[in-house]
Amino acid sequence: MAQQKTILVADDESHILHVVSLKLRNAGYRVLTANDGQEALELAQQERPHLLITDYHMPQLSGLEVCRRLKQDPSLPHIPVIMLTARGYHLEPQDTEQSGILKMLSKPFSPRQLLATVNDVLEGKSRAEAPDVAGTINPTVKREAV
Amino acid sequence: MTNEAANIPVHPVEPTVLPPAVLENLAARFRPGGLFLVVLRPDGQVAYHDPGAGPFFERYVLPLLQARDAAGVMPRDRVEALMSTTAASPTTAPAVWQLPGVSVAAFPHAEKRQAGGVIALAAKGNTFGLVEDVQRACGQLGLDAQWLFNQADELPAYGDEAIRRQGRLLASTLRDQVRLTGLENELNSLTGQLADTYEELSLIYQVSSGMKINRRASDFFRQACLDVLEVMNVRGMGVTLNVEISNRPEPALYGQMKLPQQKVARLAEELTAMLWEVKGPLLVNELAEDRTFGWLGRHARRLLAVPLQRQEQILGCLFALDKEDGEFDSVDTKLLNSIANESAIYLENAMLFEDVHGLMMGLLHSLTSAVDAKDAYTCGHSERVALVSRHVGQQMGLTDRDVEQVYMAGLLHDVGKIGVPEAVLQKTGKLTVEEFEQMKRHPQIGARILQDIKQMREIIPGVLHHHERYDGRGYPYGLAGEKIPLMGRIICLADCFDAMTSNRTYRKALPLEVALTEIRRCSGTQFDPRLTEVFLMTRPEGFYELLRDHQQKSKKLRELQESLRTKFD
Repeated sequence: MAQQKTILVADDESHILHVVSLKLRNAGYRVLTANDGQEALELAQQERPHLLITDYHMPQLSGLEVCRRLKQDPSLPHIPVIMLTARGYHLEPQDTEQSGILKMLSKPFSPRQLLATVNDVLEGKSRAEAPDVAGTINPTVKREAV
Repeated sequence: MTNEAANIPVHPVEPTVLPPAVLENLAARFRPGGLFLVVLRPDGQVAYHDPGAGPFFERYVLPLLQARDAAGVMPRDRVEALMSTTAASPTTAPAVWQLPGVSVAAFPHAEKRQAGGVIALAAKGNTFGLVEDVQRACGQLGLDAQWLFNQADELPAYGDEAIRRQGRLLASTLRDQVRLTGLENELNSLTGQLADTYEELSLIYQVSSGMKINRRASDFFRQACLDVLEVMNVRGMGVTLNVEISNRPEPALYGQMKLPQQKVARLAEELTAMLWEVKGPLLVNELAEDRTFGWLGRHARRLLAVPLQRQEQILGCLFALDKEDGEFDSVDTKLLNSIANESAIYLENAMLFEDVHGLMMGLLHSLTSAVDAKDAYTCGHSERVALVSRHVGQQMGLTDRDVEQVYMAGLLHDVGKIGVPEAVLQKTGKLTVEEFEQMKRHPQIGARILQDIKQMREIIPGVLHHHERYDGRGYPYGLAGEKIPLMGRIICLADCFDAMTSNRTYRKALPLEVALTEIRRCSGTQFDPRLTEVFLMTRPEGFYELLRDHQQKSKKLRELQESLRTKFD
């Protein structure tokens, strides 16, 4: 790895922060953590991480709001986002597209899968272009009712 | 760290929690005060010293600590004496050693409750003014005394009480550091466990969300095995079932480990037999030495198997072979057990579903046979219409569920004939207007028969509208075009196709080509042109053979019926 990549992890539940940080640090990433949306926003502006992993439900600012504001900030480079949500929760496709959200993972997520996704986003190029949002793609094949 | 540990007379510092980083940190903290951190092993040798303390410490204090002192005491004895002192807690009273011109505060530390050595802080002593002593020591060490005085000039001097105070400070700081490191380790270990739990939870979620009743059992179990392989880090993950279920997977092993199929089958068989007795998880950590599974020792070392169990019944088992990192433990057992429980629920549901579904289909077939039997010349007709309807439904790209509905509607399309007098059904000549009216009522009678069965409601349109014509000249409602439900249009086509290709009282079966030409001719008038196009394009020859076969069997059945009838009449 040429240069150590920095990942900002934001969640108000500290156990999630611990689990995610441990997994990512062990894999050689530099990890910063934030306990709420406001802190996440400030840290992101200051540290310019290569990737943001954020919870959706957070005090101060929601994860989605953080993404929007980062996206609107012209002084920042594009920061890809992996969003963690409660199971069964879906974001509208336009929200995810407008906010740079590449991937959504439902809690309880598999840390291994999260790491694989992070590696994919940061090391591979294929994924970064195509948003892959689970559950939002419905094949629109017209079928007649029987 | 517990309170109990804090009460142990020797300082409870474990070497595992005294990593270099902690020592560096401590050394750096005391360095500005002219204090020198040293760790001595039980034999008196230096295990660690502050690397940034400067020449006075490195060239004078360090050798001094490792040399016989003025009273002739060896460093080893000094350390041993200190370590055997259990009188005072090191935090309240570290020992003070006076070496020529140097004050040392020292306390013992334990390594896992065994004496591990001494941690010491050394500084210029207030005895540094006793020039002769220092000069003598310099002579012994081969140092230039004047150089040493210059080096020590700026350093603060510590008397007994001052160095003891610093020692006490070191001890409490160290204890905090150790506690902190311990907590950090504990946090990391808990976080690691938590991450494992997340992994398990997400696995269990994944497996249970795959528990769709209409999923093929073999698909379900293959996926479950692959999911477990991901999480458990084992070299082989297998499954075997010993229940009657369609699409039952053969005993299988997934993962890196490759075993010949007959060995997988043997393992599956022996495991199943074993689990009937154990009725719980089976763990073998040395296969080569095992009485039952010794033969497997050539391929694998460790085995963990859990039964798929409902009540007292063993439905099958899941088995894992060779964990990548060591022995199987209770965590693995728990995880595999959860997966087995989930899978057993799936399996039981799938079996119940098949049971009920089989019973229902059996009843439907007997019902339609009863209907067909009323009319000697339509024997087996309902089943053939169901087969053709299913074929057309599939060709139309309907969902599996809809295809199934179309099949059932085909099966039951003539059920209303129960309400039509046999005299009308079996009449060989032309029907009178009145008789034809009676005949035309059968779709509505059929719909009425089915309407009270909740599960059958969706197929009613197929039954009710199978005599509608695309041009609107059919019955009972004279619906036209797309107004006729698709199911009705499909069954209409299938019904006519089978009627033409079967023997009737008034004519022999038409050859396939003639029937197809007729269907083409009636496309757009009697039949939905879209359907006829799909139907004709799919080369009906293939299943036509199947239908002929079916007709032959039906014919034999009919002959049997006839002979029975003549016997009893």
